[in-house]
Amino acid sequence: MPVVAFDQVTVTVETDHSPTPKVLLDGVNLRLAERRVGIIGANGSGKSTLLRLVNGLIQPTAGKVAVDGDDTVRAVRKVRRSVGFVFTDPLSQLVMPTGREDVELSLRRSVRNGRERQAMAEAALDHLGLLPLADQSIYELSGGERQLMALAAVLAVNPSVLVLDEPSTLLDLRNRELLRHTLGGLEQQVIMSTHDLELALDMDRVLVIENGTVAFDGAPADAVAFYRALCLDGMRHPTGPATGPGTP
Amino acid sequence: MRGHGFLLANYVPGNSFIHRSPLALKFLLVFACGLASFLVVDWGVSLAVLAALCGLFLLTGAGPKRLGRVVRPLFPVLLVIGLFQWWQLGAPTAGRIVLNILVCVVAASLLTATTPVQRILDGVVAAATPFQRFGADPERFALTIGVMLRSIPYIAGTFADVRDSARARGLERNPRALVLPVFITSVAYARQTGEALAARGLGDAGDDGPGD
Repeated sequence: MPVVAFDQVTVTVETDHSPTPKVLLDGVNLRLAERRVGIIGANGSGKSTLLRLVNGLIQPTAGKVAVDGDDTVRAVRKVRRSVGFVFTDPLSQLVMPTGREDVELSLRRSVRNGRERQAMAEAALDHLGLLPLADQSIYELSGGERQLMALAAVLAVNPSVLVLDEPSTLLDLRNRELLRHTLGGLEQQVIMSTHDLELALDMDRVLVIENGTVAFDGAPADAVAFYRALCLDGMRHPTGPATGPGTP
Repeated sequence: MRGHGFLLANYVPGNSFIHRSPLALKFLLVFACGLASFLVVDWGVSLAVLAALCGLFLLTGAGPKRLGRVVRPLFPVLLVIGLFQWWQLGAPTAGRIVLNILVCVVAASLLTATTPVQRILDGVVAAATPFQRFGADPERFALTIGVMLRSIPYIAGTFADVRDSARARGLERNPRALVLPVFITSVAYARQTGEALAARGLGDAGDDGPGD
């Protein structure tokens, strides 16, 4: 498995209404080598920022992120070749009118021959059972089908790490199960943020992110219990500092 | 997002003579129609060209429904343009302008309905390759065309969604309630698309380089 390493990573952004920068992530140290890593936390806690760092979509203000030793800032092109990213809304990710065309677009960079590209796109779609939907307009697909199509476009170039930002948020139960089943069968390392605690329980390791820091890091069941306690505590003391049952 | 606002027809697999025609010829047809819209001054000629193009479109096997879906979203805009031109320049000129717009849209749809997008992009890359010596990146050129083809129905669909939500709030006569959300959504979409392309490593300068 590839190793994704965060070394004292801090991300801050300037805001209009405050003289000091807003801290999105604060001194995060992590070494992710498990096959399935889940990230849970409240909205605005820093989950998406953490994920975007892995693909080089965001640069750390301080510290360093590396994928298998490659710095995500200095070797961003190499990193993006090995890290696939799936967004919450597949419509903002699918750039072409049909799934087949979008998968072929992913392959344009690496496969110059048109026929070879076509064959590889077919294989990628077939692998996820999407070939019958390949020529339909992406607008005619259901939410789950679109999400799987976006996944196929990313997997077509065979990345070693797959990063997914809340992939089940817009899906109904059936499509969520379809996605869950598909993710379970992937060979790649999967790093995924989610609000779906059942999906988080499928992971090998789960991080709870709170106020830009890793509040818990451990086994899925323990992490979910910690997060539930954190949320309940936050409801009881909405303005006070959130505390959970303990961190490892 | 509904995204039902198709302005150009999606590719329809087939084996008609238009499907089999060389891409350059189809490009030339679209270019000629665009050029003719500036040169043709007789509405009768425009009508004849439009009828011929519609006939060709139906010969591809894409069907009259698809043709209807291509031109229907244009009707409100064409109505406004037609009425304005009628008031300013008279009925024959108004008719010619409206017909010429339809000619351009149907010609472009003839190309997109009979050619897979990847072939269009390959054609754009081939056409742009000579400019490589001046620093142009043909793949970026093709990507731009691809993103444009995808963005037209998205923005048209956004407009339909915004119009419905304005109607639900009783604001259908307020132009600000229609234009501003479409503008903001379009900018957000552009940013998301840029981020999605960056995440896939598409459009980076020197895509085919060995990496960093």
